[in-house]
Amino acid sequence: MILKIDKVKKYFPIKKGIFLLTAGYVRALEEVSFEISEGQTIGVVGESGCGKTTLGRVIAKVYDATSGKIFYTPHGKESNAIAQAAEIRKNTEKQIMKNYRKDVQMIFQDPYNSLDPRMTIGDILAEPLQVHGVCSSKAALNETVSQLLLKVGLYPEYASRYPHEFSGGQRQRISIARAIALHPRMIICDEPTSALDVSVQSQIINLLKDLQKEYQMAYLFISHNLDVIYHVSDWIMVMYLGNVVEIATPEALFEDPLHPYTSALMKAIPNWNPEERSLGETTLQGEPPSPIAPPSGCPFHTRCEFVMERCKTDKPRLSEIGQNRKVACHLRVQ
Amino acid sequence: MIAVNHLQSYFKTEDGLVKAVDDISFELRPNEVLALVGESGCGKSVTALTVMGLLHRNKTVLKGEILFNDKSLLDLPPEAYRLIRGEKIGMIFQEPMSAFDPLYTVGYQMLEVLKAHTNLSIEKQKQRAVHWLKNVGIPEAEKRFNQYPHEMSGGMLQRVMIAMVLMLQPEVLIADEPTTALDVTIQAQVLGLIRNLQKNEGTSVLFITHDLGVVAEIADRVHVMYAGKIVEKGTVSQVFHHPLHPYTIGLLTSRVVKGKKGKELPFIRGYVPRAYEFPEGCRFHPRCPRKLPRCEHDNPPEISLETENCVACWLYEKGESA
Repeated sequence: MILKIDKVKKYFPIKKGIFLLTAGYVRALEEVSFEISEGQTIGVVGESGCGKTTLGRVIAKVYDATSGKIFYTPHGKESNAIAQAAEIRKNTEKQIMKNYRKDVQMIFQDPYNSLDPRMTIGDILAEPLQVHGVCSSKAALNETVSQLLLKVGLYPEYASRYPHEFSGGQRQRISIARAIALHPRMIICDEPTSALDVSVQSQIINLLKDLQKEYQMAYLFISHNLDVIYHVSDWIMVMYLGNVVEIATPEALFEDPLHPYTSALMKAIPNWNPEERSLGETTLQGEPPSPIAPPSGCPFHTRCEFVMERCKTDKPRLSEIGQNRKVACHLRVQ
Repeated sequence: MIAVNHLQSYFKTEDGLVKAVDDISFELRPNEVLALVGESGCGKSVTALTVMGLLHRNKTVLKGEILFNDKSLLDLPPEAYRLIRGEKIGMIFQEPMSAFDPLYTVGYQMLEVLKAHTNLSIEKQKQRAVHWLKNVGIPEAEKRFNQYPHEMSGGMLQRVMIAMVLMLQPEVLIADEPTTALDVTIQAQVLGLIRNLQKNEGTSVLFITHDLGVVAEIADRVHVMYAGKIVEKGTVSQVFHHPLHPYTIGLLTSRVVKGKKGKELPFIRGYVPRAYEFPEGCRFHPRCPRKLPRCEHDNPPEISLETENCVACWLYEKGESA
């Protein structure tokens, strides 16, 4: 086990007036719990505003969680994971925090904004190595940078170039090289292929898969694309309005989606067969409600075709159902 | 409806001419949805902007012809073009959030369109606008009419944009990636809406997208573009079930599907070239798995096959046998 996420919640306060009084909260993330281990990929899927990016950022410590805990097992102590785990919070010991930051890296969606345009590729890749004092000499640093570029399928000569000289796919390779520079144990991939062309998407997914095999890294793979999530994940979490509504293996999820939202999401994917157009069957009407004033009861009840009286007041809990499967729906859990 | 013949749109830049669209021909027939599909930088949006006459005349070099009901559009003076744009050919854009002026209500912006193109009384204009808001499935249309763009979601605004364009009942609708910025469930709603309106109104639609899944859902015919050229033309079922050009085949097989779980995904090697560095000969040859020696120098012509398919590839020089 690398990380254990325990009931993590993130509310963003809305400040109003000249005294900046808190007028309400954007409930971006509600009590999410899961564990992630070496070599495992957890896919997070949902529409915009469902909290998937917030989840990634809370884990990467871009944001501090409003409540809930993140436990982290330092390297080499996996055997006795729970006892050795350190809680990651604001006043965690500096050394542990430094290791955590080294071990948990991130790849962002937009390869155009996530690389500093004024730094050369070499500088971009050298920066994490310098911060963590990995290389002893300048020569060793340059050597490591060259190795990194080769690893992600680019040429060492590119080290002296600037980001604008590269295409989207190449830039995403550079982001990946930066993320693996410190040999992290986990990478948070926030929509790493969404901004790329179709013909380039598969290259990047293959690269991520190969690197995972080689380094036994864990991925938290965030995407709105169910097909991509299916391909890369060992586990899939479906999110809606800040809540995890279903957790399952990809096979189980695709064969028999239990939550009405999951099946609606699947029906909405174009199926690439002009003879089987499925648009007419879309049952999901309306749009997700605002996370500032989420509906009472089940967050999905405003759009659900199987809505019952109970759903409007009583929020379903994410409960175990069958083997390795969790769903938050009154239809399935009595 | 619209016939485009040997159209070239070149941009004048400091680094010389950028051949964004290079010698393409196609026709949009009455009452059909024609999809132009391709990756970023292939010239699909530039094609749409050229047809709409929205490119800066001093900064572009346009050659070839665009015929709309047998009238040549490229020779029209700007004032005459204005009567066609919007009224005869409408366009919806990718980013509904940036296509509206944030300082005016959507109703005001809709009335502005009607004021410019009709002589209806203000009452009639309002009725028509609200009627169309209802037509595109907006609940509480009267209330929405008086709202500002920021008060609506992306999917809602895209519906308003569709209403705003269709209320003039144009003969042709150009839709430039209308669902790319939307979530899949909202995308399904908007595509369904466009499809229904197209059927009811009999509008011809030129649908531009990078998403082959969307093409399969909505189009009657499809043209595949790569690096400023059309490389393949055909009906949707021909192109999806019997793709000809190696690029089309590559695109269709690089889709992430269930059966490939755990295996390496097929992909097209290399990257999409940028407009100022298009290669000589066939523009796809550096990435093509079936490259012939002549592909490096000679640009392949469009080869028509017995069916409605056309393909620009030397492999098919002797007919479909390849």
